[in-house]
Amino acid sequence: MLVKQLLALLAMAAFASPALAHKASDSFLYVDMDASEFRIDIALRDLALLVPLDSDGDQKVTGLELRAQRSLATQTIENAITLTSEQGACSIRGQAWGLSSHSDGPYLATQYQIACPNGERPEQIEYSLLFDRDNLHRGLVQITSGDARSLTVLSPDKPTVDLTGGAIGPWSTFTTFLYEGVVHLLIGLDHMLFLLVLVLPATLMPRGQGSQGTSRSLKSRLLQLVGIVSAFTVAHSITLALSALNVIRLPIAWVETVIALSIAAAALNVVWPFLGRKTWKLAFAFGLIHGFGFASVLGDLTGGVSNLAIALAGFNLGVEFGQLGLLIIGFPLLYALAHIRAYQRFMVPLMLIGVGTISLMWVAERAGSI
Amino acid sequence: MTSSDRKSSHRTQKSLHPVFSLPALRRGGAFWIGFGALGLLCSSLAAAAPSPIQSDFDDDMVLVTLPASAPASDRVPSSPEAMAREVQKLISEARRSGDPRFLGYADRLFKQQAGQALTDELLVLRATLAQSLHKFEAARQDLNTVLNRSKAPLQRAQALVTLANIELAQGRYDQAKPFCEQLTEERPGLIAASCLAQVAARTGGAKPAYKKLAATTRFLRRANPQERMWAQGTLGDIAAQLGQSSAAEHWQQVLSQNPDDLYIRAQLADWYLQNGKPKQALAATEEYESVDNLAVIRAIAMRQVNHPNAQALASRLRERFDEALWRGSMLHQRDLARFELDIEQRPENALQHAMANWDSQREPQDTRLALRAALAAQDNTALSQLRDWLKQQNQFDARFPEES
Repeated sequence: MLVKQLLALLAMAAFASPALAHKASDSFLYVDMDASEFRIDIALRDLALLVPLDSDGDQKVTGLELRAQRSLATQTIENAITLTSEQGACSIRGQAWGLSSHSDGPYLATQYQIACPNGERPEQIEYSLLFDRDNLHRGLVQITSGDARSLTVLSPDKPTVDLTGGAIGPWSTFTTFLYEGVVHLLIGLDHMLFLLVLVLPATLMPRGQGSQGTSRSLKSRLLQLVGIVSAFTVAHSITLALSALNVIRLPIAWVETVIALSIAAAALNVVWPFLGRKTWKLAFAFGLIHGFGFASVLGDLTGGVSNLAIALAGFNLGVEFGQLGLLIIGFPLLYALAHIRAYQRFMVPLMLIGVGTISLMWVAERAGSI
Repeated sequence: MTSSDRKSSHRTQKSLHPVFSLPALRRGGAFWIGFGALGLLCSSLAAAAPSPIQSDFDDDMVLVTLPASAPASDRVPSSPEAMAREVQKLISEARRSGDPRFLGYADRLFKQQAGQALTDELLVLRATLAQSLHKFEAARQDLNTVLNRSKAPLQRAQALVTLANIELAQGRYDQAKPFCEQLTEERPGLIAASCLAQVAARTGGAKPAYKKLAATTRFLRRANPQERMWAQGTLGDIAAQLGQSSAAEHWQQVLSQNPDDLYIRAQLADWYLQNGKPKQALAATEEYESVDNLAVIRAIAMRQVNHPNAQALASRLRERFDEALWRGSMLHQRDLARFELDIEQRPENALQHAMANWDSQREPQDTRLALRAALAAQDNTALSQLRDWLKQQNQFDARFPEES
């Protein structure tokens, strides 16, 4: 009996510090990413707003009263916390339950094991405890991952926190970069113009065939197109990868100047094939330099990305998708136009002059910044 | 300025209900400063391992005593009047106890009403709450709305006093003065007289302001007790500004009527500290360790007298401020600055918090702390910024450190 009283006294000493501070309401959440565990401490005072802890109404909560409400308290806490991984909601399993203390008094502390689908790491924690009772309530979160420890705060305005500390999962890295690849191709006028110039020969009637050009079938034109585009794709994929993985690095100002030059040269080559009539060879050769251009954009985007290979794959595929989309819309259009007499005589030369002029202006501009 | 804060204390008055904020709370610094950012920065702070979970506790042990006035449920008040009563009760409780949880409960009531039109009374209360949370702009907005639309004398007076006090607390004396004058017109009395005295005292006219307010107080002896206490608090502040020992008497008078006037209590305790009476400071702060600003003053006093519990209190305060930094809402920035300066003896840290606080609050205590921190940190830029401002306002205060 005496021992029990003594223990009670010691416990009192731990929890009833001389004067408990007044502070706004905070819960403390400690997330251990390595052990896949978390602990939540909630002030007994705050818990009493949600769970009838003081069953005898004497304004005092005893150990017995707290124990009596254990399951309701646990349920309340668990309902207010959602942990999710990429694949969905994670389950939690209680490991320890008891008291702890913070600067303003006694807290109920509960330790949980986190289990996410397929053994993944949790990515997010969502928290809503007490927000509907106390607008100044906050969840103070400490995330431990390896040696890194970060602190953050959950509030009614920001009830969700990213546990991975900004690192994104592989899938979202991939989709993000896929999107960036598409966007870059579509807004990067130089690649689009280069593609146009490459595609033009496939729409032209060979000389002397005149209006009987039908002898050259759509099938062979499509094959020619596939060859050109594949050569361009393979070439820029090679240099994009080499550059992104830091095997080769070229000064970007040079690369951009040469890209502009390549457009002018390809345009000239349509009229006067000084680089040969095999457009696919041209596409391959110039594709190599365009790959370095893509790589510089990718480099700007991959600042904090951990999985560079996935980013690279996503970006490259994105560029191809963008390219394919352009061709699906652009080629039928050009092919249809090719049946108009004026196409070959006026429109193509006009396009070539336009593209050539623009690209030479770029050359001048970009060479200036070398 | 006692008045601004002090008013807080006197606010329990029935007729002129709370205008001020919870003293312990308002003394701090800018609210939400670096919310989040700060939290992330201070990973070294509270990030130590949490205290272990203790599963073995006795059934008979009283774990915690719940405050009697905590809201019983999350129900919505039945009428604006019922809500006003509830909000008022919560704000008064926050002010009386220095416990900011009650402000959170009150804030929730307003969140429930989001988007609905509020009565004048509720707008004034919402402004009072905003002021307590250092959201001065939001408070100004609500109060101006009341002044523009309301004809109810009580709400208008309340709005005027609160506006004047916000301006006084922020050191915007030109803006405060017209509110004090309008208050004198609409509701003459000791509160209006205190308001004008405060403005005059902070802008070079402390001596005549004291004399005039003391005379008015004698003349209006039969004013209601709250108004008289308000004037006493203001007289105490101006006396302290003038370096007169009568300051303590004025404040003691207030405390004899209302021991839980935390603002006046802190003023008095600090006055004892400044005048080399740490034992009296200890007595004045006894049983008020739960309130940050009183606890900091107490810790300094304990240190001065080599009190056996000095270390223990300092380390409890350290834990509190670490948690506050993690949370990121620096409601008590001024207390933290004081703690850094006088207990931790880290003048650079102190100066940083003192100046951040001084950006939003410029009562003499705020300015004094910033001056002391700037001197200790030997930061001439901060020092000349503070002194230039004081010169502009023509503000003199015996509590400020000597020019060096």
